Amino acid sequence: MATREGSFSVEDMKNVQINIGAVVKEAEEWDQEMGPHPKPGVATLRSWDHIIANRYKIMYAPADDTCTLCTYGPCDLTGNKKGACGIDQAGACGKIVLIACLMGCCAHAAHGRHLYHWCIDKFGDMKFDMGDEILVDSPLYQTIMGSKPRTLKDFNEGLLYVEEEVVQLLAATHTGQESAFIDFESKALHAGMLDLLGMEICDMLQIVAYDMPRGAADAPLIEIGMGTLDQNKGVLIAYGHNLAAGAEAMIYAENNNLWDKVDIGGVCCTAHDLNRIGLGTGELKVPKGIGTKPKVAGAMGWWRKMIRSGVMDCIMVDEQCVFCDVLGDAQKRKIPVIATTDKIMLGLPDRTNDPVDAIVDDLVNFKTPGVAVLDPVKAGEIGIRTAIAVKPKRAEAKIQSLITETQFQEGIKKCTTCNECAFVCPPHIRISNLIAEAMKGNLAAFSDMYEICVGCGRCEQVCPQGINILDLFEYANRQYVKNQKFKMRSGRGPARDTEIRAVGMPIVMGSIPGVIALVGCSNYPNGTKECYDIAKEFVDRGYIVVTSGCMAMDMSLYTDEEGKTIWEQYGGGFDGRNICNTGSCVSNANIGDAAIKVATIFAHRNHRGNFDDIADYILNKVGACGIAWGAYSQKAASIATGCNRLGIPVVVQPHSVMYRRTFMGRTDKPEDWMVIDARDGKMQQIEPAPEAMLYVAETKEEAMLEMAKLCFRPSDNSIGRSIKLTHYCDISMKYFGKLPDDWHVFVRDVKDLPLAYKDNMMKTLEEKFGWKIDWKAKKFISGPLRPADVSFDPTNLPRKIRTKK
Amino acid sequence: MAAEAKKGIDTTKNPVPFEMAQIPGPEMAKTYMPKVIGAIIKKSKRPLLVVGAELFDDPIMFEKAIEIGKLGVPIAATAHSVKGFVDRGYMNNVYQIGLHPLTSYLRFEDWKGLDGQGQYDTVIFMGIFYKFANAMFATLKNFNRNIRRISLDRYYHVNANMTFGNMAFTPDDYHAAVDEVIAAMKK
Repeated sequence: MATREGSFSVEDMKNVQINIGAVVKEAEEWDQEMGPHPKPGVATLRSWDHIIANRYKIMYAPADDTCTLCTYGPCDLTGNKKGACGIDQAGACGKIVLIACLMGCCAHAAHGRHLYHWCIDKFGDMKFDMGDEILVDSPLYQTIMGSKPRTLKDFNEGLLYVEEEVVQLLAATHTGQESAFIDFESKALHAGMLDLLGMEICDMLQIVAYDMPRGAADAPLIEIGMGTLDQNKGVLIAYGHNLAAGAEAMIYAENNNLWDKVDIGGVCCTAHDLNRIGLGTGELKVPKGIGTKPKVAGAMGWWRKMIRSGVMDCIMVDEQCVFCDVLGDAQKRKIPVIATTDKIMLGLPDRTNDPVDAIVDDLVNFKTPGVAVLDPVKAGEIGIRTAIAVKPKRAEAKIQSLITETQFQEGIKKCTTCNECAFVCPPHIRISNLIAEAMKGNLAAFSDMYEICVGCGRCEQVCPQGINILDLFEYANRQYVKNQKFKMRSGRGPARDTEIRAVGMPIVMGSIPGVIALVGCSNYPNGTKECYDIAKEFVDRGYIVVTSGCMAMDMSLYTDEEGKTIWEQYGGGFDGRNICNTGSCVSNANIGDAAIKVATIFAHRNHRGNFDDIADYILNKVGACGIAWGAYSQKAASIATGCNRLGIPVVVQPHSVMYRRTFMGRTDKPEDWMVIDARDGKMQQIEPAPEAMLYVAETKEEAMLEMAKLCFRPSDNSIGRSIKLTHYCDISMKYFGKLPDDWHVFVRDVKDLPLAYKDNMMKTLEEKFGWKIDWKAKKFISGPLRPADVSFDPTNLPRKIRTKK
Repeated sequence: MAAEAKKGIDTTKNPVPFEMAQIPGPEMAKTYMPKVIGAIIKKSKRPLLVVGAELFDDPIMFEKAIEIGKLGVPIAATAHSVKGFVDRGYMNNVYQIGLHPLTSYLRFEDWKGLDGQGQYDTVIFMGIFYKFANAMFATLKNFNRNIRRISLDRYYHVNANMTFGNMAFTPDDYHAAVDEVIAAMKK
């Protein structure tokens, strides 16, 4: 039957059901043609994934030699043997990697889906407006979906796309489906990309609905630390990632003038998002400036230390990264718990439909340890009222929950130095040594290890003497907790277009040596300070440093000799020698967004439905490197994988090996480093830049050296390469005591050489590596892999070869 | 006492992964006496000593690594451990490389080694963060079984072929055991 778009007749119709499909929109005002891959399916970008995997060899470190996923098993896969279903060890690892990435992707996308419904319900549909300075307002959405959201409701299309793809990907993990490890990894890269999209949708929704900062370099400094929570007030902790209930608690406190009776402290990424509310310049549907009122209690890695410190009176959990034993820990200390989303209900009764007064009464009088209330408005009110009312009632319990000096002494005396605790401690702290020092009256050892302890509590479970080891840590660090008061810059959201215009050229040419993104959770190899050390090293060197989530919080806990935190030492712009806090975990999307914006704003690349082209540009020209120094959740694995598909290498810490898979280049294989020169289609060997896609570093020193190296790009001009080599060599000299062995690999021209090392390096090139040098002209006659060529246009995509008109 | 001294340090006790839950599957490392490990290293055609940043926690281990290096076993200094060798003025056969890229190369039969002379037949890990070393051993265990995996660390390494039992809390015994390995290599 012939149809005409947009019109039909209903005359004389009887018993006809009319289904109206998607409404055809008016022609979009967008000067970009649709790219080749809008809404890519599972296999659409497979060829790009294979380009990545062919250069960066997939490497597995199996955490398990067996497979127990189906009833054929357990199967022994040791030595890459096949299981009963036919899958080998590499395939089995790939399957687990894909599942981990899907977990991470789903956590963010489901968060976005919840926020979508909640924001539309609460605020109604709103114009998607990121302000005059952010016109490329949803780079990942546009690159992946090929369309531009105009209102909040338009994001539904993106969420539906992610949800459909996730179902397809998860189906591939069923026994008897995918088996090739390279295709599991292609699918994992797809999941990682979907995760970036889900995060962007989530952050854009909340930025608009809750009027958060839109690229504000001067976002306010807010209070962070357990010591900032006013113990004269009831303290409500909002813990997790979804701001809905915490925001309602803030609005309830504001509307009822209760801020003099209650303090709200955020833990994990909810903290970031609560502190962004009402600080924007858009349509205001929340109280203006309210985001400066709550405190940031701290990152999730501090949770068990926080709950033992006695600083909280009521806990509201939402979703993601919540310790599973939160209820038990709270119950021991008579801290009421309110579960506010259906992701985490903790076995609690669903009291969503009960009257608020009754619920508050039950919680305040300890008739129930907690409740689930899935209506954010109701949960927020209950949280505030409970925190205020329960405070005096739990005063005695609070005192009892903190151990006395006598109890501390009794605890340490029980230690038999069996060292069972050290066998299960993630950083292998020799706890018996700390106790031995404490026996001598020296608590400094416990203090020194406080930030290295990840608070997992595994030590307490295995201690045959039943010593509450975390309580010992709490006792020894009580004064530190009281004084833990610092400043952190509130999450600023995306990079502004004007900022990208200013830094695009220096990034691509290399004169800004790189963009360093510090993301991920706690549990750092040697404690929280490593976040600060890494950030400080690079921001001091003039890199653009961006951060988010728990790392942004943890690096706030240290000051320079003037007592300034890193946020007080440097500006918050997207610029060299600046440090940006983009916001919460989902604000990580803004980091990928910035890389895309360099391609589209600076280089005028069409990004619409054109993911692989943009990723190819980033891989070859944008010197960016991520670091997930404290991988805790599967979200970190999927974020890193998404960055990898976008052409951004990532360094991770040694605990990350649990996620099994990395991408490592072979610098000894010239054929792996061939690219196309887009000017004429000729193949050109390049230096190994970037050398790896996912690199595990054992120490922060190694991580920093590798990060400096992973910022090299084949497009660097000589000034840029010289600057990058300077930092690479300086970091090596500072922490390794020598120049790196491979510095010469990155030298193409005399002008590439760092000024400080130039003369010695030229001698070395001649004497050790046999390069021929014209000393008068100060030129290389032979030696470098290729000449420096400022107009070199490297690409991995044949379709980017320019055709002569 | 004399008999015990002759017998040497018993490094076969306490074969429990230092991270207790690291139980990979049916194939788990055996513990060996130092002189056996020393003899095996000596017999290897292409051994490589791989050391990590934990050497900084027990600096005497740098001296022991250098002693092994002087016996002709090249040293891969991972993490930032090369600084320990620079500070001691010993760089003869020391190569700076991360454990992760090193293990990645060790997977491939056609890799020419740090000195360009060919793939190794034995790797000896010492002074590396437990979980990381365990994972890199797992890579080799599953994807290149032609390389013998020896741990000279103070931990029981479940994914190695040959390892000591746990000696994390008996540093004197551990040092003596490593000395015995070195002595056996000299024989």
